Amino acid sequence: MEKDNSARWVDERLAELQNDRTWQPDVDRALAEVRACTTKERAPGAAWTWLAATVAAACICLLVFPESRDVVRHMWGVHHGPGPVDVGQVSADLSKVAAKQAAPNFTLKDASGHDVHLSDFKGKVVLINFWATWCVGCQTEIPWLVEFDQKYRDKGLAVIGVSMDEDGWKTLSPYLKEKGVSYTVVIGDDDMANAYGMIGMPMTYLIGRDGKVSAVSAGVVDKTTCETEITHLLAN
Amino acid sequence: MSSRSEVVEAMPAAETPFDFEATFRAQYARIARVIARVVRDSARAEELAVEVFLKFWRCPEAHGEKAEGWLYRTAVRKGLDELRSQTRRARYERLFGFASPVRNPEQLHAASEEQDRVRNVLTVIGSRHAELLLLRSNELSYEELAAALRLNPASVGKLLSRAQDAFRKEYVNRYGKG
Repeated sequence: MEKDNSARWVDERLAELQNDRTWQPDVDRALAEVRACTTKERAPGAAWTWLAATVAAACICLLVFPESRDVVRHMWGVHHGPGPVDVGQVSADLSKVAAKQAAPNFTLKDASGHDVHLSDFKGKVVLINFWATWCVGCQTEIPWLVEFDQKYRDKGLAVIGVSMDEDGWKTLSPYLKEKGVSYTVVIGDDDMANAYGMIGMPMTYLIGRDGKVSAVSAGVVDKTTCETEITHLLAN
Repeated sequence: MSSRSEVVEAMPAAETPFDFEATFRAQYARIARVIARVVRDSARAEELAVEVFLKFWRCPEAHGEKAEGWLYRTAVRKGLDELRSQTRRARYERLFGFASPVRNPEQLHAASEEQDRVRNVLTVIGSRHAELLLLRSNELSYEELAAALRLNPASVGKLLSRAQDAFRKEYVNRYGKG
């Protein structure tokens, strides 16, 4: 009984919310409103136009600035394997080290703990490759660098891999063994990366016999073009 | 047969292609009224009812024989959300020393003190309780309540009774027995 009274009391309170009985919602106007929205959403043209405009705006933003352009080029190289990166073409914006400038000297340690200086390779063509074990694009390049080293070492090419791995030789040594890396590998540091203007990996510098930078490549090199450039430098 | 039963029968069967417009015409006014009971402004209730139907249009799994329950559930939730937001807004306006909330003439005419009390209580007793009470006060049967709120039909009576207790307790705490 008590329960029934309580329920009735609540019902009476809620009945206070009764609408104005003269009020008639305007069904036709509401339907027109819904139709306008649903037609807009249905129209594939509108969606595609927005999508195209967004993509175009993003592309323009990325390509209009040299810095973002270089990042895009670099990303493309890393994720899509050998791309149209021209090792013979120096990107002016990359360069603390630009073409025809003297390559900065460095002193870094190799796997045996010996100091390696750039000046040790005076009179040789030097290929400096910044890389890391976790870098997908770098893995693509390693067999090519091994091949260049074996093919052109006697003719005066020195390949130097500058690893930017933070774990050091603990990670690097087994990796080099597994990949059969025959060329010199040193562990790089921030000073060297800054001096060379490294913006990402892989990044490759070709230095002529005169000690001047001949070419810089951000991203995976084009093997054929790179080899042509090496033979051209060796011939000089 | 009640007018609402006729509407239910008029709704398209699940097997036939879904006719959104027919459902809209059959249900819009009712859904707008459900919302208008909760919010203070009938124009706002119509806007919210349109939003409910847009959501319904975008949600194909709600089409079919369960459409009515889906619409009631969504409408009452939409109304409660709006009511909570109105209550919050009014509280901030009081806190920051603004004049009492401005109401249009229709609101001034419609909003009685008792309605405000009931609405205030509905905003604080918990969504499930408030949904149950509001749908019940829109004359939904236990079966329809169970379908709309996806409850076990056998539990509806018990849950409704708890909701009524919660409402009464909160109301009495705030305003006395009224």
